[in-house]
Amino acid sequence: MVHVFLQLDAKSSAVERTLQEHLPELAVTVFGRFRDFEEGLSNGHPDAVVSITPVLEQRGKTASLQGQRGGRSTEPYVLVSVNQPLEGSLAGKTIGVVDLLGRDGTQTFLNGLLKATDVKIKRVAKIEDLLPLLEFSAADGVVLPSSMLAWLLERTRLAIKTKELAGASVGLSAVAVLNPAVRDVVVKSFQKLDAPTKRLLGIDSWSVP
Amino acid sequence: MIGGKNMNWRVAWLAALLLCLAGCATTGSEQGASTQGAAAIVDPPVRTGVPALLIAMPNSPNFVEVRKSLVSEVQKNFNIHTFTVGPETRDADLAASIQAANPVCVVLMNNATINLYRQYQTANPIAKMPPSVLLMASFVEELQSQIRRATGIAYEVPGVTAFVRLRSVITTPINRVGVIYRPVFRNFVERQKSLAAREHVEIISVSVPNDVTAAGLREALHSLANGHKVDAVWMLNDNAMVRDEEFVDDAWRAEVTEAKLPLIVGVSNFVEPSFPLGTLAVVPDHEALGLQAANLIFDLSDNDWQVESHPVELPLSVKTVVDIRLVRANFGLQPDALRHIDKALE
Repeated sequence: MVHVFLQLDAKSSAVERTLQEHLPELAVTVFGRFRDFEEGLSNGHPDAVVSITPVLEQRGKTASLQGQRGGRSTEPYVLVSVNQPLEGSLAGKTIGVVDLLGRDGTQTFLNGLLKATDVKIKRVAKIEDLLPLLEFSAADGVVLPSSMLAWLLERTRLAIKTKELAGASVGLSAVAVLNPAVRDVVVKSFQKLDAPTKRLLGIDSWSVP
Repeated sequence: MIGGKNMNWRVAWLAALLLCLAGCATTGSEQGASTQGAAAIVDPPVRTGVPALLIAMPNSPNFVEVRKSLVSEVQKNFNIHTFTVGPETRDADLAASIQAANPVCVVLMNNATINLYRQYQTANPIAKMPPSVLLMASFVEELQSQIRRATGIAYEVPGVTAFVRLRSVITTPINRVGVIYRPVFRNFVERQKSLAAREHVEIISVSVPNDVTAAGLREALHSLANGHKVDAVWMLNDNAMVRDEEFVDDAWRAEVTEAKLPLIVGVSNFVEPSFPLGTLAVVPDHEALGLQAANLIFDLSDNDWQVESHPVELPLSVKTVVDIRLVRANFGLQPDALRHIDKALE
């Protein structure tokens, strides 16, 4: 049993369908929200978990397979705003971010990305909910992986401005095997994924750390 | 097709539709269904020295879903006391629960619950009231001014959210969207115009009287389609505008089908490929609403419960239901659309 929790440009149900089709040896459950993922982890006892590095690290899990894109295992995150880029101090600014790590964990994660401690956080359940924050002026900016920028720009006609967060590189999708007895089957199954399915996970290859 | 099977389906559809809109005189009201058969709501164990949060709500599925998500977020910081509101509940009952829980904040779900709280406030004009968060009720923006120390989250899905979703599903351009409204919706529609403009969508609104007939509504729809040349029509959740099956057939279905315009609706039952009407339904995501409410409560707590300075928020998260058959036949399906739709019907 494999649990997947990623912020992707697709509904969890669509990702789950695709992964299950390509991983017939495994039972795949894709979670779209942090709380469901957390509950699944506590009650479902999965054999493996697929998520980005900070999520795995928060739970003390080590990657058995690390996803890569363009030869890199991390990607930069960007700060997105409307009309003008958010320059200077972010003190007191409200920044939206997907809830990947719960309230405290996500705040710490965001502080680390922004190198600030006095930012007001707006957590959203899904990546698509970041856009309304900008449309409604409910946040001064939002933070997202650079790979999701294309999705945002396709979706909106707001005058989007971006600022790459210096030094804010975050690990791409990785597989952590929790049950050593099924390690081989899990690793081999993920390694066999075709290119479009890997692309869906935001990567183009795997490496063994 | 007017076969027996189809007629049966139409009856079932209408029954479901009227149930959805029963008592829902606005775009957003959520009524508490009967609590008969509903599982009892169990609060987490109370801890000493932890501030209390009172949640007053009907015990029916959508409210329970919001509560579950909200409680999972806030239970580490607050003791949770849930007060179930039913048709027999009096304002004195709500008052007693507030006095017993002594909450730092009250969460009030649906208009009936908010009305009880308003009665309680009216009966106690000088008493200090706890701050309140209003959820899953019609026109929360208007209600805020009627309740002392209140803020909340609007329940109506903003038009701009629906328009942007429609753009991501169909290939035909969406630049002008028509909406027909009765006077009670005027302020709501006006607020939508500036929001939609940010996404370069112009809302063309046509006002109709409270007692609009099917013929009058069809005429208004016709003027939107042919006079104003709108790219889509947005149907508000106003039960006076979908008052019965014949009315819906004669006005909405007839005109939207003839004009071949995408129709955005706020009730998923309106999207049904075997009996086409709505192209896209955009409905509140209740689990995400719980998270948004939790964020709001944390914000208020961090701000010493200064609710008056906190404007009513707009809902951030929705779910989408799409009639794919209708889209393919008339409007073109965006290449990746199926990956972004919660429920695709064919």
